[in-house]
Amino acid sequence: MMNSINNLELVKKLVNEAAPVIKIEQIDNQQLAFEIEKRDVHHVLTVLKNSGWKQLSYMSAVDWIDANKFELVYVVFNWDKPVYVQIRAMIDRNNPEMDSILPIFPGVKYYEREAHEFFGIAFPGNPDYHKQLILEGWDDLPPLRKDFDPSAYSDRKFPSREYPADFSVVDPKNKSIEKRKERKVRANALRTGGNKQ
Amino acid sequence: MKEMKLFLGPQHPGMHGNASVHMFVDGDIIKRSYLLPGMLHRGFEKQMERKLWVNNISLIPRVCVPEPDINEMAFATAAEKLLKLEVPERAHWIRMIILEFARISSHLMSYGGLGGPTGNYTLMYHAHADRNLILDIFEKITGARVYHQYIVIGGVRKDLPEGIENDMHAFINSLESRLTEYRDLGIDNPTIIKRIKDTIMLPEEVVWELGVTGIGMRSAVGKTYDLRKVVPYARYDQVEFEVPTSDYSDARATLDIKIKEVQQSINIIRQCLTKMPEGPVRVKPGRGQSMRWTVPAGHAYSPIESSRGEFGYYMVSNGGTNPYRVGVRGASYPQGLLGIEKYLPGTRIDDAALWVDTMGICSPEIDR
Repeated sequence: MMNSINNLELVKKLVNEAAPVIKIEQIDNQQLAFEIEKRDVHHVLTVLKNSGWKQLSYMSAVDWIDANKFELVYVVFNWDKPVYVQIRAMIDRNNPEMDSILPIFPGVKYYEREAHEFFGIAFPGNPDYHKQLILEGWDDLPPLRKDFDPSAYSDRKFPSREYPADFSVVDPKNKSIEKRKERKVRANALRTGGNKQ
Repeated sequence: MKEMKLFLGPQHPGMHGNASVHMFVDGDIIKRSYLLPGMLHRGFEKQMERKLWVNNISLIPRVCVPEPDINEMAFATAAEKLLKLEVPERAHWIRMIILEFARISSHLMSYGGLGGPTGNYTLMYHAHADRNLILDIFEKITGARVYHQYIVIGGVRKDLPEGIENDMHAFINSLESRLTEYRDLGIDNPTIIKRIKDTIMLPEEVVWELGVTGIGMRSAVGKTYDLRKVVPYARYDQVEFEVPTSDYSDARATLDIKIKEVQQSINIIRQCLTKMPEGPVRVKPGRGQSMRWTVPAGHAYSPIESSRGEFGYYMVSNGGTNPYRVGVRGASYPQGLLGIEKYLPGTRIDDAALWVDTMGICSPEIDR
């Protein structure tokens, strides 16, 4: 327990010395979050990597549509001083762009490709970021943006089919189809306020 | 010789799940390769934003098919971190039992999966038969065989049924006695040793470059880098177990570690069954209506040691009844995508299936 407190203090000291910190948040006794400026991300990640936080666990983005911002998230981990560090930075939503951290963490390559595909963020410095990875032939807004509506997309992309002919088999003894039609008319009448048609 | 394109797709017995490896080969040496995911993409991260916290319980196990319980655990712990919720003591121990059974079942599946690329199908039949017995136990506890939806926010759904301890003891005793048989059939079998020794090497610098975790990392680095030891969750700090490592990292070493980990999981389950206290197993997670409760705003990342490496959920709440953003860190993401692009070239065609098996690549968690 004493060790983990020392590690937390060490991380705070490292990040505070490297760059101005907007906000520190302690999630539990083995996880810290720092909000910093976009321009400081590379420097902070380099400092952390040189101090042993050399595993990039996760990288992605969050869409804060009300503030018109994207929040980039980098989670790094040190196996010898076990503290998870989240580095978060806001970037503009209208023309989202962030220099790639590929020179620092080569493993970020596919995370950045995924973030470009799902949020439309550009990562100059990553040679393949614009290539298609998962969504084949996608022709709409990047899907994880909050203003993308999946049900509207599916209605537009896959319209409900209209059948020109009625293929239902009619058995003169079986009245169930007629009954179903009657029920439909009645239900519609109730919904539209007694307006039978 | 002219370069030729080959396709190792889902129909191949050595391929796990619905992804495919595209290889450009010269003779039988792979020159370039890449993984093509996307055949299984179901938009989970988007769907989770549109569902209540409770509703998501039915969705998350689908993120990784062979090992669904880690998803439930990662989702529940991330939400509990945001809620600052203390789970009842007994629920922690039940969760550990479930997670260790899931680890054994996943290891059996992947160890048996060695039978596909090497042609030793007997191993696969044995492993799947034993895995089926674990699924029987899961069915008795949770009512479902594969997708259990058992670990929920605030504990587990229901207490263990009466008399299940006997079933568990009977199963782990029989499996323990069969572990030498598994070794003889698989990694100690001379034909298989000849096939897998010194293939799929994973040097230490590649581990750090890609961000490989789990068994691949422990075999390459040789240290006990296991999240159950390093960042203990549930009650892993109160049970005694060893983390098997190796000083040589090839396909045989990773499979050897898998069998040793099965033994350790058996030991953990035994300790859980004796140390488990009585008591409630679930608390109400939040204020509000029975389903539409809210979670305080915040960001949390919850790492879990799965059978294939670090598995985590990055969860953002804005104080609403739905998650604002859920990000899934799949355990096989780094070695599955970047590993196949960078380090599969140079090996032979028949090693591709072995790579996919020993690295533990699970395509649904790449396509979530």
